[in-house]
Amino acid sequence: MLSGVSTICFAASYAIALALELSRLWFRSRVRGVVLFGFAAAGLLAHTAFLYYRAVQAAGAPLSSERDWFLIAAWTLVAAYLFLAAAYPKIPFGVFLLPLALLLIAAARFLASPQPSANAPALKAWGIIHGLSIMLAAVAVLIGFAAGLMYVVQVRQLKHKQLPGRGLRLPSLEWLGRANSRAILASLILLAVGVASGTILNRIDVERGVERIAWYDPVILSTLLLLVWLLIAMVVSTVYRSARQGRRVAYLTLVSFLFLVVVLVVGLLLSSRHWQRGSSEGGGRKAESGVPRAEGGVQRAEGGRTKTLIPPPSELRPDSSLPPPRSPVSLVIALPPPGGGRC
Amino acid sequence: MLVQVVGCSHHGASIALRERLAFTAEQAREALDRWRRVFPRVESVLLSTCNRVELYSAADQENEPTFEQVAAYLARFHGLEPAEVVRHLYRHSDEAAVRHLFTVTSSLDSMVLGEPQIFAQVKQAYQLATQQDNTGPLMHAVFQTALRVARRVANETAIHQRRVSAASVAVADFARQVFERFDDKEVLVIGAGEMAQETLEYLEDEGARRITVVNRSFDRAVELAGRWKGRAVAWEDLPQALAAADVVISTAAAGRWIVDRQQFVQIEARRFARPLFILDLAVPRDFDPAIGDRPDVYLYSIDDLQEACQRNRVYRDKELPAALHIIDQETARFMAGMYHRAIGPVIEQLRLGWQAPKEEELQRLLNKLSHLDDHAKDEIRHSFDRLVNKLLHPPLMSLRDESSNGIPRGLLDALARLFQLKRRE
Repeated sequence: MLSGVSTICFAASYAIALALELSRLWFRSRVRGVVLFGFAAAGLLAHTAFLYYRAVQAAGAPLSSERDWFLIAAWTLVAAYLFLAAAYPKIPFGVFLLPLALLLIAAARFLASPQPSANAPALKAWGIIHGLSIMLAAVAVLIGFAAGLMYVVQVRQLKHKQLPGRGLRLPSLEWLGRANSRAILASLILLAVGVASGTILNRIDVERGVERIAWYDPVILSTLLLLVWLLIAMVVSTVYRSARQGRRVAYLTLVSFLFLVVVLVVGLLLSSRHWQRGSSEGGGRKAESGVPRAEGGVQRAEGGRTKTLIPPPSELRPDSSLPPPRSPVSLVIALPPPGGGRC
Repeated sequence: MLVQVVGCSHHGASIALRERLAFTAEQAREALDRWRRVFPRVESVLLSTCNRVELYSAADQENEPTFEQVAAYLARFHGLEPAEVVRHLYRHSDEAAVRHLFTVTSSLDSMVLGEPQIFAQVKQAYQLATQQDNTGPLMHAVFQTALRVARRVANETAIHQRRVSAASVAVADFARQVFERFDDKEVLVIGAGEMAQETLEYLEDEGARRITVVNRSFDRAVELAGRWKGRAVAWEDLPQALAAADVVISTAAAGRWIVDRQQFVQIEARRFARPLFILDLAVPRDFDPAIGDRPDVYLYSIDDLQEACQRNRVYRDKELPAALHIIDQETARFMAGMYHRAIGPVIEQLRLGWQAPKEEELQRLLNKLSHLDDHAKDEIRHSFDRLVNKLLHPPLMSLRDESSNGIPRGLLDALARLFQLKRRE
């Protein structure tokens, strides 16, 4: 039965919940809160079932592919939304959080690779720490972005003397400012843990005779840029009082989001050695930027012909020698598939 | 009569008269006590607020106090001549009185439509009357229903949801959009206007504790600070006080701006981008409106607040028909229940009156037919019961049908005479 659950199922539930959240702008309803919470919760249930099924099918934990990384980030964002919707039923957090979750799901479905990665058992623990912390850091940045956006909208409403019942009913500026500060702190700590665990993974790879990933690899570089930005934001807001109060702290989270977008775009679109970490061979789908993929497979142009590097999932064989792609931001949990792996 | 109300309200009585007829809690206790001694068989509740003084009473027909008696009682308690007040008083009885109480409790008859205090005031009046032993089954029924109806109106309409006083809108609708809590916020009061007092009361309800008062007269500032448990600051120190403030309530009305944009920009650097909420309640205004364009400053003038209040009033008015529909529904339901309750004793007497001859005749017959077995005797008993029920059915149905629109006094009298019942309403 779980195999019948697709990304469309839960994305549609979230889209309906988002439409209901947006309808708050036009009319009042007594049952809307319950209905939209029901749709979002049903979507999260389907989302959970989908991830569980993938984990079982892949004989490993989630986060073992780029697609899973995006889907779990979306899952976490929706879970955070449901928590906030239950705690503050009158505030339309979904207007700001659900579009981000839907974008992550869209990226997972149309851009991210579904190929599970393979890695040595020794790397499993570090892989989990690395993938999870970077995923949570990204979610913290997204939540901070939503809070920053709400802050800007709330300031606009207050400056226009708009009564709460007439526009969007949002939390107070003080609450949003605090949420912004906490989002920056949480994303900084999580990203630092992610980068540190990634460095350890790199070192282990070197010991295994796998080529080290250079710090100037696009994915690593953009991730380091985000880390440096968060560090600067933290230092500035600690040292300068005016940067941790009022609208400025909201602007810090908005800029953090731009850095995160850069990291995600670089991870999805640019060529990076990062995706091949854990393998002694190079190559992989992102080594050939600009070459279209055929139905999830990876191809390279050679002498005017297209050579398939990684076949579509349906054609994968257990003895495939090609390395799988890795997670977008830095790399993903490397789980050794049973019996030598499926890819 | 079931229930009547005699009293005056903001609709037809001046504030001067309402003040003269008003009861303090202690006076209300004494008044109810006296009432019980004068009218021992009449239930009563006394409702006294700044907008109305009303005496609700309930009794059977023989003990019903007249309008003049109640008016004289209210006037003489305050040492007034009844003739002075009687033309300003109104009287509603039975269904009109019940509808009036439901309307008052639901805040649909208030000066500010939907204001929340009246619910608590009605509840307190009812509780006081109950403590004083002035209430009985009828008053319990009508007041408990009134409180339930008010809750229903509050839940099913939005009539209470929008605030309509400038001070409450300022605090609950705007200040709470900027700050989550007020116990750690610096509140600066400039001047000593009445609206500052009202706004401070709302802010204190929200937890505000740190209050600073600035006034041109330092002595006056000290006096006000003492009243509001705050601290006084000299007029010359206004810039420092502004730099430290989170919320400013200004009612100085100095005739010109006491803080212009340029002065504020100089203060701004010392605020470290902390949000500042300014309520300029003075006319003419105390703060240069251009200050409202500065980042992290939220400046509201009395006009902004009045506009919001007016929008809320219009919104509440739109909810009025829905609220009145609930009142109509509930009044009809309550009165139907009351009328049915009023005919209950007659039905009971009718049943009992037919029960005794039935039992006599049954016993006589069973004695004669002693050879019958138990099953046959039971059949005979059931037949007698069915016969009595069938004979009683038409008059009881007529009584019930007639009672849905009021107490069917003519029918009750006829039944009482036909079946020689003792009347007891």
